[in-house]
Amino acid sequence: MSSELNVRSLAVPGFSADLQALWAVVRREWTIFVRYPSWIIALFIWPVIFPMGYILTARALSGVDGSGLTTFQNRTGLTEYVGYIAVGTMVWMWQNIVLWAVGYSLRNEQMRGTLESNWLSPTWRFAYLLGSSIPQMVSMLMLMLVSGLEYRFLFGVHFSGSLWLTLLVILAAIPSVYGLGFAFASVVITLKEANAFVFLVRGIVMIFCGITYPLAMLPNWMQSVSQWLPQTYVIHAMRTAALSAEGFSAIAFDLKMLALFGLFWLAVGYLLFNIMERRARQTGAIGQY
Amino acid sequence: MLDLAIEATQLVKKFPARAGTGDKTAEDKSAPKTKRWPFGKKEPKAMFTAVNGVDLQIQRGEIFGLLGPNGAGKSTTIRMLCTLLEPTSGTARVNGFDTVKQANDVRRSLGTVLAGERSIYWKLTGRENLEYFAALYHIPQAITKKRVDELIERMELKDRANELVEKYSTGMRQRVAISKALLARPPILLLDEPTLGLDPQAARNLRELIAQLKQEGHTILLTTHYMEEADQLSDRIGIIDTGKVIALDTPEGLKRRIEQKEVIKLEVTGWHAEIGDKIKSISGIENLMSHQQGEADLWEVNMQAQNSRTAIPRIVEHISSNGTRLVNMNIVKPSLEDVFIHLTGKALRD
Repeated sequence: MSSELNVRSLAVPGFSADLQALWAVVRREWTIFVRYPSWIIALFIWPVIFPMGYILTARALSGVDGSGLTTFQNRTGLTEYVGYIAVGTMVWMWQNIVLWAVGYSLRNEQMRGTLESNWLSPTWRFAYLLGSSIPQMVSMLMLMLVSGLEYRFLFGVHFSGSLWLTLLVILAAIPSVYGLGFAFASVVITLKEANAFVFLVRGIVMIFCGITYPLAMLPNWMQSVSQWLPQTYVIHAMRTAALSAEGFSAIAFDLKMLALFGLFWLAVGYLLFNIMERRARQTGAIGQY
Repeated sequence: MLDLAIEATQLVKKFPARAGTGDKTAEDKSAPKTKRWPFGKKEPKAMFTAVNGVDLQIQRGEIFGLLGPNGAGKSTTIRMLCTLLEPTSGTARVNGFDTVKQANDVRRSLGTVLAGERSIYWKLTGRENLEYFAALYHIPQAITKKRVDELIERMELKDRANELVEKYSTGMRQRVAISKALLARPPILLLDEPTLGLDPQAARNLRELIAQLKQEGHTILLTTHYMEEADQLSDRIGIIDTGKVIALDTPEGLKRRIEQKEVIKLEVTGWHAEIGDKIKSISGIENLMSHQQGEADLWEVNMQAQNSRTAIPRIVEHISSNGTRLVNMNIVKPSLEDVFIHLTGKALRD
């Protein structure tokens, strides 16, 4: 009886099948992303609007003749205060977007009702989180590129550093920025809502990492806290790489710290994801809104 | 030796009881104390037992219907079988694989359609959905297109396959969801309320498809609210109530359990509970149920009787002496619904 009724599955498991599934998640995420036209606003308008308030404040405080800029130069070693603010706010926006987009990627699937149908498949679970992050990385790179062009031509910012070193900093920052996003996504799927936590994290980054001012402005205890935040090193390295001609040696320490933070946050993200996945199977959290 | 597609042994699933559910009978106060870091000890958690020792043996090639009212444990059982949930205790094997220890082998053996229509992406087209899920189910790229085309053709989606799913009707979305389940041609299908929300024609088409899939050799576990559907499609039916399988047999076997009984169906106006109590007190009358039809004062009253000839005069007497008017009366053979009422004391849609 069983031989007559045996239906042969078409599935062929293996590493390449998991890679194919990962690529399918990337394509799905990208296709859905571009079908919501609001991404154009995020890409072209938000990067200009967000730092504008800080730039105009800085301009007002520098005095009518701009004499205050000398003080800024003495503190930072840079003359390009618009670029200084633009890079800081860009890194803040990056982390903020990752917390919302990656951190809420599984939760959004859960609310859409598609998380369970993904979870029913034999695909490597982490592929869903990783796959939905890759289009986000691409859109973020586009955003940085467009922002750079906008700062150059709208604000006249002179990026005197190296494009390649700037890209290297972005690459080095990815593991820690996204590792935090993965950890966040795992927590959100269990807690369902973590807006307060997003506000807390981005508030900490805003105050402690010096997105618009040098860390020297902070009291000593706050500077000690800053050293434990990877965004501090991302901002410093990216400013150095994009706005000065100091070269690789000036960012080597930052890159080393980012590698360490990257390993830590990726491990934390992966560990939390696996704990969440197991816990969700025990509690039924995957299907709960 | 039986060649089993699905085997569950003493499957139990408990969840922490929600505050204010009021379902004291299902709570397990003996649950161990739990700790939550970093806040220290918590009070012992009351537990809700959704599935309470389910045993199932489903043979290859059969359609097995799992019937039960809302909250009976059907969906929780399905979720344990398809690896979305781990049982609190007991074991389940699907296609010979353990649902906890060999979860990926189980997933490869299954095509699952869960209740509801949001299991696919509305911002993708029908074709994009199927191509996406084909990759998740590890179907080689070389055959994906052919397989997707086959299913699009079979499900009569060809004309609209390249439109966004958000523009589809409920029936079309359900067809995409079923195509998704069939993509990898899995030997076993779990269909959780597959016809829920479909119009009669779409539901009929889907029932025909389910029958065809059985002919092709698929084993099908079907949960449904619709008795006629279960009766028409299932080789065997398990009736589940309060987390337990309380009866398991062929549809005919189940009906034989109460074939010595007759079912009296009344239509009356001016019905009230007091008359029901009086009729229930008549010897040989059981499982009386009444419900109002629409907004008019017309009630349908069903009951099971050992002997309708002796019961009917007394029923009529109670009705006429209380100002209630008898509009219609029928004596019919027991249906699967009557079996269900006999076993559980409630209607399936309760």
